[in-house]
Amino acid sequence: MKYIVETENLMKHYEKGKIKAVNGLNLKIKEGEIYAFIGANGSGKSTTINMITGVLKPTSGHIKVMGYDMVKNRHKLSQYIGVAPQDYSVYTDLSVEENVMFFSRMYGVKGKIARERMKSILTILRLEERRKERVKNLSGGMKRRVSIACALIHNPKILLFDEATVGVDPVLRRDFWEYFRSLKENGQTLIITSHVMDEAERADRIGLIRAGVLIEEGTPAALKNKYNAQTIEDVFLTLSGDEAVDE
Amino acid sequence: MSEKLKSPGMFSVRRTFYVSTRVLRQFVRDRRTFGMMIMMPILIMLIFGFALSGEVTNVPIIVQNSDQGATVFGNSVNFGSKLTDSLGKDSRVSVTLGDYQAGITEIDNAKGYFASILIPKNFTNEILAKLNKQPVNITINLYIDKTKPAIRASILGAIGDAIKSLSGQSFINVDEIGAFGGASYSGLDVAVPSVMGLVLTFLVLLVSLLTAIREDLGGTKFRLLSTPLTAREKVIGYVAALTLFALVEAMLVLVFGVYLFGATVKGNIWLLVFSAFIYGMVNVFLAIFLSNFVENELQAVQMGPLIAFPSMALSGMLVPVESMPPVAQFFSQFIPMTYAINIFEGIMLKGFSFDKLVPQFQALGIFALIFLLFSFLSSRDTMK
Ligand SMILES: Nc1ncnc2c1ncn2[C@@H]1O[C@H](COP(=O)(O)OP(=O)(O)OP(=O)(O)O)[C@@H](O)[C@H]1O
Ligand SMILES: [Mg+2]
Repeated sequence: MKYIVETENLMKHYEKGKIKAVNGLNLKIKEGEIYAFIGANGSGKSTTINMITGVLKPTSGHIKVMGYDMVKNRHKLSQYIGVAPQDYSVYTDLSVEENVMFFSRMYGVKGKIARERMKSILTILRLEERRKERVKNLSGGMKRRVSIACALIHNPKILLFDEATVGVDPVLRRDFWEYFRSLKENGQTLIITSHVMDEAERADRIGLIRAGVLIEEGTPAALKNKYNAQTIEDVFLTLSGDEAVDE
Repeated sequence: MSEKLKSPGMFSVRRTFYVSTRVLRQFVRDRRTFGMMIMMPILIMLIFGFALSGEVTNVPIIVQNSDQGATVFGNSVNFGSKLTDSLGKDSRVSVTLGDYQAGITEIDNAKGYFASILIPKNFTNEILAKLNKQPVNITINLYIDKTKPAIRASILGAIGDAIKSLSGQSFINVDEIGAFGGASYSGLDVAVPSVMGLVLTFLVLLVSLLTAIREDLGGTKFRLLSTPLTAREKVIGYVAALTLFALVEAMLVLVFGVYLFGATVKGNIWLLVFSAFIYGMVNVFLAIFLSNFVENELQAVQMGPLIAFPSMALSGMLVPVESMPPVAQFFSQFIPMTYAINIFEGIMLKGFSFDKLVPQFQALGIFALIFLLFSFLSSRDTMK
C-alpha cells in the first residue's frame, strides 16, 4: 500500500523538551482517503499539521509526503499541499476574491484558470455573492470558508484542514462534507482535524491523538466495534478516561 | 515509485511581484497609516522649525592672530592675544589656532569648522592710534558659515563679547563674509533638512515595521510559509513595496518643506530627491530586518522611538556633531541619520553637488547593504 503522508517517530518539543507537543507520532495516510485526526485541546493536532505542511521543523523523526522527505523537499512539495490553518489565516483587509487570487499566484496558477476555478469554489462554498467584500466584514463561518477556498485554489493533491468546520452551521457542515467527498472522488487526500467527534464518523479513517501520540486508529465502524460503543465520542471517552480535556 | 516532483523555481519574479502589489494594496487601504504619512511631516516640521534656533556651545572656529603688538611705556601690549584668550574662554566657541585661508578651505568643504577669524598685523597699533583720536579703520576678518542660525549667533556673540572685553572698545569692525555665497537662513529653512531626516527615520521605519509584521499578526505567515514563496522572494517583495512608499514619503516631505513652508533648496532638487530616497531605503531595510524580532504592534511602536531618539540626539539634528562630547561624536558615526542630515543640509543650504557628498553617500550605501544582508540572513523559510 502506498502512503501519501507518512510520519515516523515524529517529535516536536518546546522549551528545551519540557513541552512535548508531538511525541513519537507514526501516521500513515493513504492516497485518496479522508482521514480525521482527532484529539483534545492541546493534544498536538495543529503542531502535526504544521510539520506536515513544512512550516514547522520537527525536533526529530521523519515526514514523508508523496514518498519524499518533507524537510528536504519542502519547496517542491509545497505545490502539492493546500492548508487551511486553525486560525483563518487570510488577509482581512483584502476582499474574498483578492485573497483567493493572491494565493493562486503564490502557487503559480495561471490567471484565467485561477479565475474559473475560483468561481466554482466560491459558488460551492456559498461565497460567490460576497466575493467583493473585505474579509473583515464577514462572519466567522464565512472567514473559515474563505480560508478553505484559498487552500483549494491550486487543486492540491493533499488538503489539510485544521478545525475546518469550527463555527460552521449544521446545514453548511453537511454540505461541506458532501464537498469533501467530491474532492476525494477527484482523487484528493484530505486530512481533517477536529475535536467534534460526530464529524469524525464521516471520515474514512480516524486517528486518535493524545499527548502527541497516536493512541488508536481505524475506520469508524471498526473502532466502534472494538470498543463496543455507539458513537466515536464514546470510543474517545473510553480511551481518554476523565482527563479528556487539555492534555 | 514516487512521482517526479515539479520545481516551482528557485526565484520567481511573479511571486515576488504579487507579494509587492498585495502589500501596496493593503497599505493604500489602511487609512491610519495614510493619515500618518501626511500629517506627521507637517507636524514635525512646525514643531522643530521653532525649536531649532537657540544658541549652541563649543562651535569649532579657527583663529589666526597676526597681531605684532606694540610696546607702550616699556610694556609690551598685544590686543590680538587678549582677544584670542577671551574667545578661548568663551564656552560658545572652541578655538583652534591656525591659518585664516586654510580655515576658509575647511569651512567650504564642511570639515567641521564654522568660522575662520583673522586678527590683522597692526591690530594693537591701530587700537592705540584710535585711542589717540587718529582716524583709523580697524577690521577683523571673519569668514563664517551662516547656514545655521544657532551657530552663527553663538560665534557672533562670542566675538562681540571678546571685543568688548578689550576695555570696552566698540570701534572695531567685524568684516563678516558668509561662506557658501553668504547664504543665511531662517529657523525653518535650517530645520527642514533635519526634519526630513527625522521623518524619514521615524515614519519610514515605523510604517515599514508595522507593514512587515502585519503578516504575522493575521496568522497568514503560516499559510504563506506553506506556499512555494521563498523567504528571499518575500523579503524582496516587501522591500520593493516599501521602497516605493519611502520614495513617496520623501517627495511628500520635500513638497511640504519647499512649497508649504518655503524652505530653500540651493542645490539640485533631484539630487535631494535621490538622497531622500536612498535614506528611506536604508530605513526600509532596517525595518525588515528588525521585523524578525518584533512580535506585535506594541513592540513595533516601541521600536520606532528606540531608533529615532538616539538618531535625533546623535545625528547632529539638535546639537551639531562638532560641538558634542567626544564619546557622542564617536557614536554619531554609526547613526545613518548623521550622514543623511549632512547630505540634506549640504544640498539644501550649501548647494553642494554630488562630488562633495561622496563619503556620506558611501556611508549610507554601506548601511543599506548591511541591513539588507541582515534581512536576508534573518528571514527563514520555516518557523522554529
Ligand atoms: N510555540 C509553542 N511554544 C510552546 N508550546 C507550544 C507551542 N505551540 C504549541 N505548544 C504546545 O503544544 C501543545 C500542542 O499544541 P497544538 O496546538 O498542536 O494542540 P491542538 O491539538 O491543535 O489543540 P486545539 O484542539 O486546541 O487546537 C500544547 O500544549 C501547546 O501549548
Ligand atoms: Mg489546534
